[in-house]
Amino acid sequence: MVLLLLGPVVLLALYSLNLRTNIPGTPTDYSTANWQDFLTGAGNPFRSRFFYSMQITVLVSVAATAAAYPLAYYLAFHARRFRYPLLLLLIAPFFTSYLLRIVAWADVMLNDNGVVNHVLWALHLEPQGTAVSWLLYSNFSIFLVLFYSWIPFVSLPIFAVLENMDHRLIEAATDLGAGRFSTFWLVTFPLSLPGVIAAFVFVLIPTTGEFIAPLYVGGPSNQLFGNEIQGFFGDSPNWNYGAVLAIALIAVVLVLTVIFGRFLDTDLRAHGAEAGR
Amino acid sequence: MMILRGVGRASLALYYWAFIVFLFAPLVVIVVFAFNKSSTPVLPIAAFSTRWFELAFANTQLTGALVRSAAIGVATGLFATALGIMSSLGLSASRLRLRAFVVAILLLPLVVPYISLAVGLLILLNELGLQISLWAVFLGHVVIALPFSILVVLPRLRSLDPALVEAARDLGSGEVSAFNLVTLPLLVPSLVSSFLICFITSFDEFAIASFLAPPGLPTYPVFLYAGSRTPALLPELIAIGSIIIVASLVIVVMAEGGRRWAEQRLIGQTAPAAENVSMLASDA
Repeated sequence: MVLLLLGPVVLLALYSLNLRTNIPGTPTDYSTANWQDFLTGAGNPFRSRFFYSMQITVLVSVAATAAAYPLAYYLAFHARRFRYPLLLLLIAPFFTSYLLRIVAWADVMLNDNGVVNHVLWALHLEPQGTAVSWLLYSNFSIFLVLFYSWIPFVSLPIFAVLENMDHRLIEAATDLGAGRFSTFWLVTFPLSLPGVIAAFVFVLIPTTGEFIAPLYVGGPSNQLFGNEIQGFFGDSPNWNYGAVLAIALIAVVLVLTVIFGRFLDTDLRAHGAEAGR
Repeated sequence: MMILRGVGRASLALYYWAFIVFLFAPLVVIVVFAFNKSSTPVLPIAAFSTRWFELAFANTQLTGALVRSAAIGVATGLFATALGIMSSLGLSASRLRLRAFVVAILLLPLVVPYISLAVGLLILLNELGLQISLWAVFLGHVVIALPFSILVVLPRLRSLDPALVEAARDLGSGEVSAFNLVTLPLLVPSLVSSFLICFITSFDEFAIASFLAPPGLPTYPVFLYAGSRTPALLPELIAIGSIIIVASLVIVVMAEGGRRWAEQRLIGQTAPAAENVSMLASDA
């Protein structure tokens, strides 16, 4: 198992430094040329694609976390004895096929003759028969599909933190004369920050390497960094350059994991407590 | 003040249900169009029909891909769960050195992007002089499923009362039979969860399968990707998709409900293990 996990990473590193190659007859000498080109080459298209991807990723992560907070809050504080069934209802879509959900958005919902356009026509928000041009193959569609996919999962860590919060602290704030809003901003929200950050990271890390959604709902200009890697291992392969991008992606994700690791740890403990209950 | 509070509560409830509609809309639409007679999934609904299901099950390429994914998924679920038990036992042993390092390695696939792992596995196969194959897909899936198994099994293992195993040992049971008679029955709910999560992870995995599944032997996600580009195939894919969506929703609800029920029962009574302990007592 360890070989199957570390072997690929080590080989990618060797390929990225030109110590191995898939192109027959090419000399294999230690070379950082591909790395230099990617990291410092003027106007390198893969580097700019990386920054474009990170923008989408951060936007999706912030939006999904912000949108999930009220959901988790509602379940933890207002849903009472229905909170576990309602939590399950919220999370269940996450366990249905990711690919099928994307196909549903691409081929049934957002397409020119799709359900969303039909709804807009029925509500007279768009002239009958005129499809909204930016619904599909756009930044919007990439954002929407990723946001949609992660909302259920992101609610979990926030819910876990709110649920395990010592409710006496909130009562104490109320007893001491704090209004509902100041109780929330001064007590509840700060205490829930570990869950919020965990939720943010739970979207950020997997979305950084995302490449499936753009295949379905992205146009040529909305492909993500993962799609660039895929391209180097496809029909016109250049494994050496592709390995540079693949290692760079792993490095970015590992750095993010180390930065946010302690928040994830907090969350795992919360989950452990939840699972043990 | 009370009115304000009521309004806040109602708008939160409304917000929640609006999101439920948003989350389930594409799933509901898939199920509805699966029964639509028209050969394109477009409103308005033409007429009720089950012909897409009949055509889908007669399409041997589609059913073949489903069987392949189901087989790899079951194998991944069993193998990754078995490895998950072993890893969890190893990690919960108090004497383990380098625990943090081992945990980091085992959990690494949770963060390493599948696309990087997929192209790395492709290179690994090539370096070993092996062809891409469904075996390679299976092994790749075990690598990514193992962390999920550990995350499900390990907390459960840690929550067990060590006195139960000690009692079995005191009553003369060996390490192996104490595990088989006491620990394993108490782990069953988490093993079922682990199997299901690993199965779903494998069944729905696209990145690794798209690089390692040989041409002509696609897994279901790989077939789905290629097939959704073919308008004539789309209604059949939607029909099968509706079955998969409904089945996975039913399984998730039953698994979660069953897990809570079983664990509450086990925590309340620790029945089978306690029975086994008393059995050992009578043997001794």
